[in-house]
Amino acid sequence: MTKKEEFTPRILAFLCNWCSYAGADLAGTSRLKYPTSILPIRVMCSSRVDPLFLIRGYLEGADGVLVAGCHPGDCHYQEGNYYARRRFAMLKNIFESLGLEKERLRLSWVSASEGQKYAKVTTDFTNVIKDIGENPAKSKIFL
Amino acid sequence: MKKSIRETIKDFLMKAMEKGVFDAVLIPMKVPAGDSYVYVLIKDKALVKDADPLPPVMSVQGGKAVSSVTRLGKGNLKIAAVMRPCEVRATNELEKNEQVNPENITLISIDCPGVLPLHDFTSNPEEGLAVFEQAEKKHDDTKMRPVCQICDNSSLIAGDLHIGTLGAAKDSVFLIAHSHKGQEVLQTLQLSSKGSLASWKKQVQEKVENKKKQRSMTHKQLKKQIGGLENLIDTFSRCLNCHNCMRACPVCFCRLCYFDSEKVKNVREDYMQQAQEKGTLRFPPDTTLFHIGRMTHMSVSCVSCGACEDACPVSLPVAQVFSMIADETQGLFEYLAGRNREEPLPMKTFKEDELHEMEDAHD
Amino acid sequence: MTKALVRKTSTEQGLLTFLQDLLKNKVVSGVFSLKVINKDGDIAYALITNPDDLKDARPFYPLMPENAGLHLSRFTLKGTAKQPVLAVVKPCELRGFVELIKREQGNLDKLITISATCGGVFPIKMAVSKDHEKHLSKYWESVKKGEIHPEIRSVCKACENFEPYTADITVDLLGNSKSDAQLCMYFNTNKGKELATALKTTLVEKDSDKKTLDAIRKKRTAEKQRLFADIQKQLNGIDGLVNIFGRCIGCHGCSKVCPICYCRLCEFESPEAEYNPAHFESEFKKKGAMKVPPGTLYYQLGRLSHIGISCVACGQCEDVCPVDIPVAMIFKYVGESIQTMFEYVPGKNRDEKIPLITFNKEEFAEIEE
Repeated sequence: MTKKEEFTPRILAFLCNWCSYAGADLAGTSRLKYPTSILPIRVMCSSRVDPLFLIRGYLEGADGVLVAGCHPGDCHYQEGNYYARRRFAMLKNIFESLGLEKERLRLSWVSASEGQKYAKVTTDFTNVIKDIGENPAKSKIFL
Repeated sequence: MKKSIRETIKDFLMKAMEKGVFDAVLIPMKVPAGDSYVYVLIKDKALVKDADPLPPVMSVQGGKAVSSVTRLGKGNLKIAAVMRPCEVRATNELEKNEQVNPENITLISIDCPGVLPLHDFTSNPEEGLAVFEQAEKKHDDTKMRPVCQICDNSSLIAGDLHIGTLGAAKDSVFLIAHSHKGQEVLQTLQLSSKGSLASWKKQVQEKVENKKKQRSMTHKQLKKQIGGLENLIDTFSRCLNCHNCMRACPVCFCRLCYFDSEKVKNVREDYMQQAQEKGTLRFPPDTTLFHIGRMTHMSVSCVSCGACEDACPVSLPVAQVFSMIADETQGLFEYLAGRNREEPLPMKTFKEDELHEMEDAHD
Repeated sequence: MTKALVRKTSTEQGLLTFLQDLLKNKVVSGVFSLKVINKDGDIAYALITNPDDLKDARPFYPLMPENAGLHLSRFTLKGTAKQPVLAVVKPCELRGFVELIKREQGNLDKLITISATCGGVFPIKMAVSKDHEKHLSKYWESVKKGEIHPEIRSVCKACENFEPYTADITVDLLGNSKSDAQLCMYFNTNKGKELATALKTTLVEKDSDKKTLDAIRKKRTAEKQRLFADIQKQLNGIDGLVNIFGRCIGCHGCSKVCPICYCRLCEFESPEAEYNPAHFESEFKKKGAMKVPPGTLYYQLGRLSHIGISCVACGQCEDVCPVDIPVAMIFKYVGESIQTMFEYVPGKNRDEKIPLITFNKEEFAEIEE
């Protein structure tokens, strides 16, 4: 079993183009420190994120999956993030009901100007994942 | 087959992986819960120890498994697929339909004792295993799938290499190369069929002759049972139109089956009109159409594996019927589905001068 | 107070007479119902237009060969409704149909629905060798008493939604001790009442017995909690899922018989779900072996995330599974959990939108981090 300190989590991050991806960019250009564990994937809107992306990511061994979008009310497409919030809430509930570690899924609202928040959220999340350990699905043959 | 023959086969595979002849092996393995066996693509040769080349059940037809690995291309891994003769035949048929890329696959078949109906095993795995072991020991296939019981192709060689167990000395097997690829494998491993294959050929021939007789008798009876429109409708009266049979079938590869498409879905007025003409219209309609239609579409490629019957929730004798019809349709073209890779599919080829007896037939 | 039709005749006979009158008098042009379809006594759904054929109808027979919601969807999706049809369906089939209507897969044009308070159905496998027939008289006894028959589908035993919510007409069956001697049908909507008017039938004022139904619901809830506790024990993380779904053969029968799964090309049968060689090879960087065809759990969890919100827990999925995976109980358990989150009962209210296509501006603040 991997010692918790030794493993570098691999965390998928679905970032909406208009807010959180820009926020992540800002974190970068501001030279803020945030973990290398994050694998960003740009989507146009957080509502593009099908629960299947998270499920597939989890089953293929991602230690964590982050979905980040605009703050409710500020969605570039008006309503996308409201739907994203519902879908995420549903998926988290499904994980909980099935006894899967729901802590591996996170939803965050990060605006384009919130470089600091992006750094904080990703650092926090990475620490949580380090605590709960590597995703056991990684080594499962019979998925 | 004694346990040690399975070990012999696995040793052969592991050695082949060690020598780089294969990078991976596609072979059945018991699932963690112990209630079934599934195909696993194994890259780490140490895991081959836990595999079972001839498990008591065929949960997914090997042709389907090979197709799921190679349909989109050959990849970089050299893969040995260890399956039964009917699964190798299905793989060949799928190749002809561009659903399998054979380049990096070595097809290895084994003399097949048959498989138990899936549900019989999964409902009580311990008992199922005991029944299967007894059946193997006594060469008694009365508990196997009905189509396995009359199978005359259980030792047919249609792949690259065949592992013969019938007539072999204790703990040993015959390794029979059937293609250039197969020969290369044996040469690289410095193996050859020591001695003659006479004892294997003799036992196989005996079994085949026996089974051919059984098959002919069984089919005669079955034809009487299901023949004619009334009997056919009755045979499939319990059908729920779930189409499990179609999806379990290795050679039914269409992503959107005709019988699931919009073509068979009518407007409301049509259903009403049919109901009015007959007084009663069963819903969903076109059950018999589905079965006869599926037969028309795939029977020349049917390998009589029986996966369809295992998947049927209402225990219809699908495999028995389809296998019987397949014998007839394939016989018409002197074709045996999947016996080799070169023979073109009967429906994709023609002779200018043939089947005149079908023209203006007066029978 | 509801309007009801009360007749001094057995429920079965009274109902058949009602259906026959409707057809004979051309009030409706067709009756959709379970029916004996051959001399062996096999039961299947049928659209009946000849009133004489109705003698073989078995409206609330305790079998469900398919979820009738699928049939009603197929019947009404294409074309125009020129002639009125009466459909006799079970509560979960009706709920399934309503969920399909919300997805634009059917409509109620000239379709009148009649249902009954439901005592559950036997698993289809029992009907294969007609095993269920020996339980029939005890079954009807337990329906009269509002008790749970031990041989019905597990999800039926745990069903609290045995009252049809949107039916035009409801037959009083479950917990009705008088059903052998009296037919009682409630006419809930104008559509239903119009049928009575057309037959010149007098309706009386009568309400259903809420107390009896509540008592029955309590029994079902207790059974549900017991069955949920059982399934919850098995749903303990990824290993639990691997154990339960290990014997899945990927036939997708569960999806095909599900009333809610209507996608013509399912995501899990599309090219999206296929693995190319590079994909396999990258998986081998993480593990030494991989089950093929891949994606069993992906399919099951994915389907759960797609349709769980509308799952009516009819149990067709479990019945059709060739290897008896308890899919229905799992989907009911998880489905209800997510439905409760949105205070949603699938198919209960035709005007209620599916929770995932609507939102409130303020909600679920607790899941944002």
